Amino acid sequence: MIDIQNLSVVYGTGRLRVDAVKNVSFSVAQGAAYGLVGESGSGKSTVLRAICGLAPISGGRVLIDGKEVTTPRSKDFYRTVQMVFQDPYASLHPRHTVDRTLSEPLAIHGEKDAEARILQALKEVGLGSSFRFRYPHQLSGGQRQRIAIARALILRPKVLLLDEPTSALDASVQAEILNLLDDLRRRLGLTYILVSHDLAVVAHLCERLLVMRHGEAIEEMTAEALRSGKASNDYTQSLIQASQGFTRDSHPPAQALAG
Amino acid sequence: MTKPLLDVEDLRVRFHLRTGTVEAVRGVSFQLGRERLGIVGESGSGKSQTGRAILGLTPPPGEVTAKRLAFDGIDLLTASKRTLRHLRGGRISMVMQDPKYSLNPVMTIGEQIIEAYQAHAKAGRNEARDKALAMLEAVKMRDPGRVFSLYPHEVSGGMGQRAMIAMMLVTEPDLLIADEPTSALDVTVSMEVLRILDELVSERGMGLIFISHDLKLVSSFCDRVLVMYAGRVVEELEAKNLREAQHPYTQGLMRCLPTLANDVRPLPTLNRDPSWAL
Repeated sequence: MIDIQNLSVVYGTGRLRVDAVKNVSFSVAQGAAYGLVGESGSGKSTVLRAICGLAPISGGRVLIDGKEVTTPRSKDFYRTVQMVFQDPYASLHPRHTVDRTLSEPLAIHGEKDAEARILQALKEVGLGSSFRFRYPHQLSGGQRQRIAIARALILRPKVLLLDEPTSALDASVQAEILNLLDDLRRRLGLTYILVSHDLAVVAHLCERLLVMRHGEAIEEMTAEALRSGKASNDYTQSLIQASQGFTRDSHPPAQALAG
Repeated sequence: MTKPLLDVEDLRVRFHLRTGTVEAVRGVSFQLGRERLGIVGESGSGKSQTGRAILGLTPPPGEVTAKRLAFDGIDLLTASKRTLRHLRGGRISMVMQDPKYSLNPVMTIGEQIIEAYQAHAKAGRNEARDKALAMLEAVKMRDPGRVFSLYPHEVSGGMGQRAMIAMMLVTEPDLLIADEPTSALDVTVSMEVLRILDELVSERGMGLIFISHDLKLVSSFCDRVLVMYAGRVVEELEAKNLREAQHPYTQGLMRCLPTLANDVRPLPTLNRDPSWAL
C-alpha cells in the first residue's frame, strides 16, 4: 500500500542545511499499522509530513498503491491519504462549528450528500448528532480528537497518517481514542502509519515499527519482538528502559543527551 | 515524627466567574516532611492549583481558603507580602512545566540564575557568579561556562529544564514544588532530569512536591502519592504499594495505560462514577 524508498528530507542549504530525514525506507501492507518511534528531532514526524506533502521530498520515492506521488499532491491523493495531527486544540478551526469543519473536505472534493455523510462520520467516531453544531471550545480534548479523526475519515481514505494522536490527552481518554482507532481500522480496513514517542502506544496499535534517531532508521522490528524485549540496538533498549519509569540505581546511556 | 515542613488542611481554591463559582480544589489536606510527595491526577483535577496555592500564585480572580496552610510554622495565608516574597524563590521554589515559556528569553541563563540568587542572598557579583556556575555544574551541564552565557532559545529543552532547576535550587530552598517538570521532555532526557532532581533532593534534604499526570512515573520516583480527582484527594498511598490501590479511580487509571508487557484489547476505559466527585 505504502512504499517509502530511500526517503530524504533536507531543509536549507549550505551552512544552514539540516538533514531531517536520511535515507529511510519501509513499506506498509494494505490494512496494516506501522509505527515510527523516536525522540524529538528524530525525523519521525517529518517522514509523515513528507508523505502527505507538508515537507519536501529531497531524495528517494514515496509510492502509494504502486504509484509515485506527484508534487503538489493531486486531489486523488488526498482521497486516499488523510492525516490526524497531534494537538486537537490547534488543528481545529476555533470559529468553525463541527458541521463546518466536517463539510469542508466534502465541498473541496465536490461530494454530494453532505448531510448524511457528516452524521455518519460523527457516528463512526462515537459522537452523536448533538455535537454537530458545537464549536471546538465546547468540546473536551478527547471529543476534539474524535472530530479530527472524523474529518480525516469523511472522504473514506484508505490510509490514515497519525501524528502523535494521543499525546495531548489524559491517560483515560488516550485509552478511548486508541480503542476507537483499533476498531476503525478493523471495520474500514484502513492502513495506518502512527508516529509516537510512546513505545507502549505503538506496540498496542501497530504490528511493525521503525525506531528512528537523528533522521536515520535505527532498527525495524515487530511489536512482538518489542514486547518480549528482543531489541538488538542499544538505543532501542534505552528507550524501552526509560519507558518503564524512573529507576534509582541504573545509569543512563551515555549518549542519551547528545541530541 | 518531627514537625512537618508543610502542613495543609482543608485547602480550597475557588474561582468566582460570571457563570458561577468553580471550585478547583475542594478540601485538600496533607503534611509534608523532607520527602518526595507525588500529586497525580488528570487535567482539571486541581493538582496544579494545589501547588500554586501553596506559593500564593493563584491567578485572580481565584480565592484561596484553608483551615491551615503553614510552612515551617509560618502561616502562609496571613503572612505579609514581604514575608511571602522572601519565602518564594528563597525557601520554597517552583519548577514549571515548559522551560520555553518559563525562562526569560532576553536574559542569558547565567544572568537569570544570578538574579534569582541576589534576590534572596546578600552577595556580591563575583560570589553570585561563582555560585551560578557551581549550580550549573551541579545539574550536570557539560560546559557550565558556555551555558552561562547562552540565551534560553540557544539550548535544548532538557538543558533549559536543567537551567531552571539550577535557578530554583541556587537559593537552597527547603521545599521544591515541581509542576510537570518533565512532560515537555523526551523520555530519556526526562530520566536524566529526574535523576538530577533526585540526587539534589536527597543530598540537600529538601522536601519535594512532584505534580504530574503520569502515575507510573510518579510511583517510581516518589515516596508517597496523593491521587486527586475533581479537586479532592481520593487516595493517598505509599508509592511502592501503588499496585494495591483501593480506589476505583486509581485502579482505572492504572489499567487504561497500554503496557509493553501485556497486550490487552480493547483497553479498559475509565467509567467515571459521579460519586467519586462528591
